[in-house]
Amino acid sequence: MQLLQSHIAQDIIGHGLSMGADFVEIYIEKTQNEGFVFKNSRAEDTQSGIIFGIGIRLIYGEQALYGYTNSTDRDELLRITTLLGSRIGKETKTLASVNFEKLIYPKVPTITDREVDAKYKLSFLKKIDERLRADQKVSQVMLNYSKKKQLIEVYNSEGLSATEERPYIRLFHQIVMKDGNLQTEASFGPGAIGGWEFMENLKINENCEMLLKQANTTLYAPPCPAGKMPVIIDNGFGGVIFHEACGHLLETTSVEKKASVFWDKLGEKIAHSALSAVDDGTISGSWGSLSIDDEGMPTQKTNLIENGVLKRFISDRMGEIKTGHKRTGSARRQSYKFAPASRMRNTYIEKGPHELAELIASVANGLYAKKMGGGSVNPATGEFNFSVQEAYLIKDGKITTPVKGATLIGTGPDVMTKISMVGKNLELMAGMCGSVSGSIPTTVGQPCIKVDEILVGGEA
Amino acid sequence: MNDITDLKADADLILSSSKSLKMSAQNGSISEYKVSSSQMLGIRVIKDGAVGISYTEAMDKDSLKFMVHQALQNAQSNEANPNEKILDLNGSLSDVASYPEVEVDINVKTKKALELESEVKARDSRVTAVPYNSYSENEFESLYLTSKGRFTNYNDKTYSITSSALLADQGKKAIYYDYCLAHTFNELQWSKVVETSLFHARNILGAKTLPTGKYHVRFSTDSLKDLIECFSNFYSAKSAMDKVNPWASKIGEQVISPDITLEDQPLYSDAYRTSLFDSEGVKRRALTMIKDGTLKSFLHNSVTANHFKTETTGHASRGASSSLNVSGTHFVVSGSNKRPLPPKYMEVIQMDGLHSGANRVTGNFSVAVKGYLWENGQKIMTFGNITLSGNLIELLKNVEVVGEKMEASTDLSFFSVPLMFNDLSIAGS
Repeated sequence: MQLLQSHIAQDIIGHGLSMGADFVEIYIEKTQNEGFVFKNSRAEDTQSGIIFGIGIRLIYGEQALYGYTNSTDRDELLRITTLLGSRIGKETKTLASVNFEKLIYPKVPTITDREVDAKYKLSFLKKIDERLRADQKVSQVMLNYSKKKQLIEVYNSEGLSATEERPYIRLFHQIVMKDGNLQTEASFGPGAIGGWEFMENLKINENCEMLLKQANTTLYAPPCPAGKMPVIIDNGFGGVIFHEACGHLLETTSVEKKASVFWDKLGEKIAHSALSAVDDGTISGSWGSLSIDDEGMPTQKTNLIENGVLKRFISDRMGEIKTGHKRTGSARRQSYKFAPASRMRNTYIEKGPHELAELIASVANGLYAKKMGGGSVNPATGEFNFSVQEAYLIKDGKITTPVKGATLIGTGPDVMTKISMVGKNLELMAGMCGSVSGSIPTTVGQPCIKVDEILVGGEA
Repeated sequence: MNDITDLKADADLILSSSKSLKMSAQNGSISEYKVSSSQMLGIRVIKDGAVGISYTEAMDKDSLKFMVHQALQNAQSNEANPNEKILDLNGSLSDVASYPEVEVDINVKTKKALELESEVKARDSRVTAVPYNSYSENEFESLYLTSKGRFTNYNDKTYSITSSALLADQGKKAIYYDYCLAHTFNELQWSKVVETSLFHARNILGAKTLPTGKYHVRFSTDSLKDLIECFSNFYSAKSAMDKVNPWASKIGEQVISPDITLEDQPLYSDAYRTSLFDSEGVKRRALTMIKDGTLKSFLHNSVTANHFKTETTGHASRGASSSLNVSGTHFVVSGSNKRPLPPKYMEVIQMDGLHSGANRVTGNFSVAVKGYLWENGQKIMTFGNITLSGNLIELLKNVEVVGEKMEASTDLSFFSVPLMFNDLSIAGS
């Protein structure tokens, strides 16, 4: 199915070039969303919808001009192109013509879909709901099921014509647990590129047990003590620390403005030699994977840090123009309403040589962050903060008391040099990442790691 | 709508549309220029008591028919909810903004946008970048129509500017940013945005940590707004209905300090934009949620009101693509029993990590903060690299009123008398 007729794309691109643009690109998106919330042991908020729009980008030297509309009307698209091009005021040239060549690229495998009716979906979620409510302290279960099919087309003045269909599926679990005046929550949100088979493959019992254990632990836990201490961060969503503390600082979106503390550190040692990290858009079925990025470039595996040395930035077209760092197939955006920007895909710390027990045993007094929550970073200063959802104190090399309310704060450059031990148990987890080009699916991941010292926020 | 009523169903429609212009500068030229126009149509159908929602951005006839079909199908997937109905209201309501607009040439706008970067750089040699700067114009319109005959029309236009200052000196870095909203171009406060960014960034550059311990804390109005609004589920009847509101069973009980009153005032005269009706077409009115520390009411829409057997308070919120929820308009915190300022306290001007460091079910939060330490009426140092932890419920029990003059957040949506929070936990050196 073609979203925009190619002769209209030719006209728009030709018109942009005739207005003196160095590069013209059209991005067309049609996304079908569906989802509902299973709450109060029944389906609520069932909804579906269609997102459709077209973004036009003109690049003049290091300047990017972007406009978007819901209309496929040729005259409206020409009007937007004129509006953008007229801002630069370059002399117009003869109408240029572009011939498109369809991009052939390797497809990242997705998880199989199959038609399932609404009743089956509800009965599937009902089983999870019942399993979680078997614990009498659970006062609410919310299962947010979402599925979308994003169809994109990209045309540009280099003759590129590319299209990709991206299926996404996710089930976000949240429980609230109550005992007298004590109350807590726990959540977990697996997701993938693909369809219903992903749901069938979920380890429901294991996931439910993990959620209930987390809630039961934090419900009765005392507040975490505050202060600087060594922290062992376990695998999976623990990778959010690398995502925030380092990943965002390696995006050319920050580097091009010198708004990253790492902007001039290529080839330098920026992390402990125990640490190697990658951003990989090609992992089969993974939530952050894409076959082509939103500029139509096939994605790749990008080695960011090798043994502590910064090897590569995460770059898009504007990043390459402004910094010289070659594109990495990382141009991404939430929708046509955003110009593309260099963004992470599946970002993780690679496996190391240690067992989790070795890391724990190496700490006299510290914190074991079993499950991390979200976080944020200011790329300009490298300052980050993360919440910890499930944590325990470590005393004399042993895990002891559970604690709640811990946060970790620090700066990326500092914490990267303090990751001194890396484990073997690499795991990836789905999440959403918000930045300049909107909220996009990304995967974080890591094996367990030891941070020699970090400031833990808690009760003084 | 006729297709829906023919099927003996009820529905409401929301058509939202927007137009915007945004530009930002980098290294002396406009590096980003963005224009947009978009619209979305959303429908909520109630058929045989069950609700279905669908939306589309494609406006051709086939897409609209598909949207209606999808909404009906979604309704079939849901169980009937006797509490959710299209309100039996009719007639029109209009809330159309009218500001004394003067035509401003695009070249003037471009020049001023460039100054959001150049003015910051010119005023301090330690400025290494102005990473966040922009000039934006946004026009928004929302039309609402129900099968019962209610029609509402809302529109607004906003101009906004943002600037920031990233300073580096002797291996230290600091950043601060500020913004301004206005209804007209001429009301934009260009100098204030530049000067505020620079003023605080310069101070943060010299920030030091504080010893771990308990401190008296005064939040800037913007920080206090973020904190109070982060836990908006505490005031929401929807959250109470969904069992994720810790105050769900506390109506009539004293929940916070008896010195504090919290209201939602849609028509507050100092607010950036008053709001005449909610997303179900109900006329808005002021609501006291907490009176002298006692919980009086939650924010309600018609569904939560039916559930709790009360009346809607006119706080329904719904976008074209979302389901019915509740939300406040302008929170106003007033108080009594004014106390003197303590001799030593922290003034928090920046709070990071609230979105991830807050537990909305328990009220616990832990965030990274920056600001100033005051002693005997003097600002004695700037602090940073520390975390502040607490619980909103406990925090609001242990609060004192330390001033009378109402202070406003930068976006003029939150208003509070000066408050001092006692014995908050700080983790630092």
